[in-house]
Amino acid sequence: MADTLAPVQPDSTWRRFFTQENVVTIVVGFIVAVAVILPLVVLLVSSFLVLDDMGFDSEWGFDNYVTLFTDRIIPKAMLNSLYVSSGTCLVSTVLGVSLAWINARTNSPGRDSIEPYNLIPFFLSPFVGAIAWHNLASPKVGLLNVWYRDLFGLDGEQYLLNVDTLWGVIWVTGIFFTPLVYLFVVGSLRRMDPSLEDSARTTGAGLLRTTLTITLPLVTPAILSGAIIVFVTSAGEFGVPFKLAAPYGWETLTTQIFTKAVGDDANHYMGATMSMVLGIITVLLIWVQRAYIAPRSYTTVTGKGFRPNVLDLGRWKWVAFGFNILYILVAVILPILCLAVVSLHPVWTAEIVPSDMSMNNYVKTLFWWEEDSIRAATDGIINSFILAFSGASIAMVLALVVSYMIHRTRGFGAKLLDFLCVIPIGFPGIVLAMGVLVTYIKTPIYATLWILLLGYITRFFPYGQRNIASIMLAISEELDQSSRMAGATWFTTLRRITIPLLKPGIFAGWVLLFVIFLRELSISIILYSTGTETLSVGVYYLANFENEALTSALSMTQTVVLLICIFIFRRVAGKEALTA
Amino acid sequence: MTGKTTPMVNITGLEKRFGPEVAVHGVNLSVEKGEFVTLLGPSGCGKTTTLRCIAGLERLDAGEISIGEKIVVSAGKNIFLYPEQREIGMVFQSYAVWPHMTVFDNVAYGLRVRGFGSAELKKKTNYALELVGLDHLASRFATKLSGGQRQRVALARAICYEPNVILFDEPLSNLDAKLREQMRDEIVRLQKEVGITSIFVTHDQSEALVMSDRIVVMDKAVIQQIGDPKTIYANPANAFVANFIGVANLFEGNLSDRKGGNAAAKIDFGGALGVKELLANDVSNISSNSKIHLCIRPEDMELSTKKFTGELAKNSITGKVIETVYLGNFLECRVKIGNYEMIIQLDHFEQLKKDQSVNVSFKAAHGLLLSD
Repeated sequence: MADTLAPVQPDSTWRRFFTQENVVTIVVGFIVAVAVILPLVVLLVSSFLVLDDMGFDSEWGFDNYVTLFTDRIIPKAMLNSLYVSSGTCLVSTVLGVSLAWINARTNSPGRDSIEPYNLIPFFLSPFVGAIAWHNLASPKVGLLNVWYRDLFGLDGEQYLLNVDTLWGVIWVTGIFFTPLVYLFVVGSLRRMDPSLEDSARTTGAGLLRTTLTITLPLVTPAILSGAIIVFVTSAGEFGVPFKLAAPYGWETLTTQIFTKAVGDDANHYMGATMSMVLGIITVLLIWVQRAYIAPRSYTTVTGKGFRPNVLDLGRWKWVAFGFNILYILVAVILPILCLAVVSLHPVWTAEIVPSDMSMNNYVKTLFWWEEDSIRAATDGIINSFILAFSGASIAMVLALVVSYMIHRTRGFGAKLLDFLCVIPIGFPGIVLAMGVLVTYIKTPIYATLWILLLGYITRFFPYGQRNIASIMLAISEELDQSSRMAGATWFTTLRRITIPLLKPGIFAGWVLLFVIFLRELSISIILYSTGTETLSVGVYYLANFENEALTSALSMTQTVVLLICIFIFRRVAGKEALTA
Repeated sequence: MTGKTTPMVNITGLEKRFGPEVAVHGVNLSVEKGEFVTLLGPSGCGKTTTLRCIAGLERLDAGEISIGEKIVVSAGKNIFLYPEQREIGMVFQSYAVWPHMTVFDNVAYGLRVRGFGSAELKKKTNYALELVGLDHLASRFATKLSGGQRQRVALARAICYEPNVILFDEPLSNLDAKLREQMRDEIVRLQKEVGITSIFVTHDQSEALVMSDRIVVMDKAVIQQIGDPKTIYANPANAFVANFIGVANLFEGNLSDRKGGNAAAKIDFGGALGVKELLANDVSNISSNSKIHLCIRPEDMELSTKKFTGELAKNSITGKVIETVYLGNFLECRVKIGNYEMIIQLDHFEQLKKDQSVNVSFKAAHGLLLSD
């Protein structure tokens, strides 16, 4: 019992390095890096592998890239993709900007209660939307066309609308991606300092001039950001062109990638090459958005709450109101009603027959214990719930640690991770799925749920990460530091301070990912195999091999589940969560 | 009102409500050409709403406003001109400098809107930029400027096209203390140089005192007093004005008697002191036996450890020192008198201890009687 103080033994360099914090961050950083980078590298490498005619051997070469331009179908498919993306971009931007302006800046009636419905398409599956619109407006069996013929007494060859075209793809994708533009623009319009416009008025500019020279330029970055996201997302969209264009002779890049990735004459290397085209285009555009457009976003800088200038539309407010209602009608109400009606018939013959209606289609697609249930559908439901639940949970843990590293630690690791989180957001699901496929096809996880889980998490965990990061940036780092000062370890601090503070963000992020995973198609369609179908793959299966009525039943089921999730999401994340 | 010229801005019977809440009530004000008038008051007193009504950024519920020769808004005659039709300039609290334009384009905006040719536009814009000392930053984007520079851009933008009147909506409150003083002086210098009519809204009394030709003190949606800075300070119309402008020692009481040009006020100090009669400057507009506030400015109070003699002896009250604060060029002493606390400004540096008994007093001429 010596009274003298023993000299403090300095920790060895190794001991100091292996703190809880460092070990966890290094491990997670490594996992993220491998998960994100490996598939993309393998994808790049595979795109230079050329399969021989027999389909057994391969050698290095640029032949795949040459094929892109010499093939009978692919050049047209690329062009079609360009048409679809540009068209969708235009439709979504026009709709999104007008709706955002109506809701943020005019006295259109009932804005508060209507606004949430504008966002519903954001959570639903565009593929299901395409199925619904096919039943609404395909030339022969579309309900709207049938009614049109009945109304004017026309024969079966005539029709009002035809969505089984590239225009149909543009229309459906456009209305479903409108909320993306809407969200960007409505936030920008609401956060703008009203005195920027007031000062133009007092300086002598009229309303029109103020709108054109002040308001519009100030929201342009937000509009462009939204437009680019829509362009990129629609280029990677598989379900809609698969349903509305491919069967009628219009192939797109995504439907071609799908053809090359699945089936008897599958050529994964060619699929990889086409994926590279899509990947490079999207990465370029996302880079333009982040490097040139986002920094010019003037209105998002201030966190100050403003009461935006509201324009009195006079009588025109009813036009604005009608326009908004019309959007909700074509994007939400009509498709869902149509699905419901079709799903109740044994076979859809473009005629509503109340006496034929039954729940039989739901029995076949939902009750897996029944003899005549369809395995692809029932398995799909179970698998999707497993994937959505575990995927969202794992992704949120990953997102939490990654956000912590990006925003609470400094140095090289943080910057690298931030970059790694941007990549998956830029890559379309189908491209990343091709990467995952070629990387893991010879490993045991191929043809299991694990490969789907891996694909899902890699592609979508940045969404959860953003959800957490926004809250993490808002709460002071000093709260964490005080806990460390008080003597808690890093892990205890995370468990007792950081996570409880982030709880709303974590849960909102979890529900968002749950929703995304439940409706996921682009990744699943590349990575599924018999027995590992997902909900959307089930819908695809029914659409391809069964009838419209069964397809609608499963689509309806998916839609109802998603609507319930949206309701929960808004309850948890609060009214402001998505309306910005 | 002299009535020899038409006022540049004339407001009569202005009334503005937000739902059930009355924001501005019965405001009448006329501002002469070249005058610098400040609307002063605590937040929520209706000063900014009044300004926004002048600008045309708010509709009004009753009343009429004219700028120059023309009526810009009249509830009775159903006239409403939009802001851009009113020939005004406005400087906002948040600067409101457009971030997607250069400094030059910001300032030239008003001239472009008015269709000025490029040569004259350049000349006038450069002149305005020189006036605020930003000519060297003309091609800079507004996002690259400091707060003070942004406010100068806003100022140049407002004066550039020579409007009838410039409206300032608390333009200095986002700036830090030092810059605020500098900008304050600059605005005054510019205003005198250009001779432009100005209406300035602030909650800062020192800004109002330094800058204004006339001050309009507002509280609870109503004008409390209009006058030049000296009058407002020396002869506040009521207790609110006395308290809001500068520091005032206020006592509630009754006007009990009038003798020899002075009025006697009975003040109940409470405690051992009880009711005391103090002499103050008589004012004719208050009738005897009505409730009053007696107001004495800290610099008009005298303090002594000895007994007062002469005139001061009549108003002498005894109190206890609470604390003394050294403020550089003078001492500020807080003294407890009955239930009241008084602030007394001293220029003699006496050693005063806490709880020490002292006599305080004031000359009758310095005691202001204010109606309740």
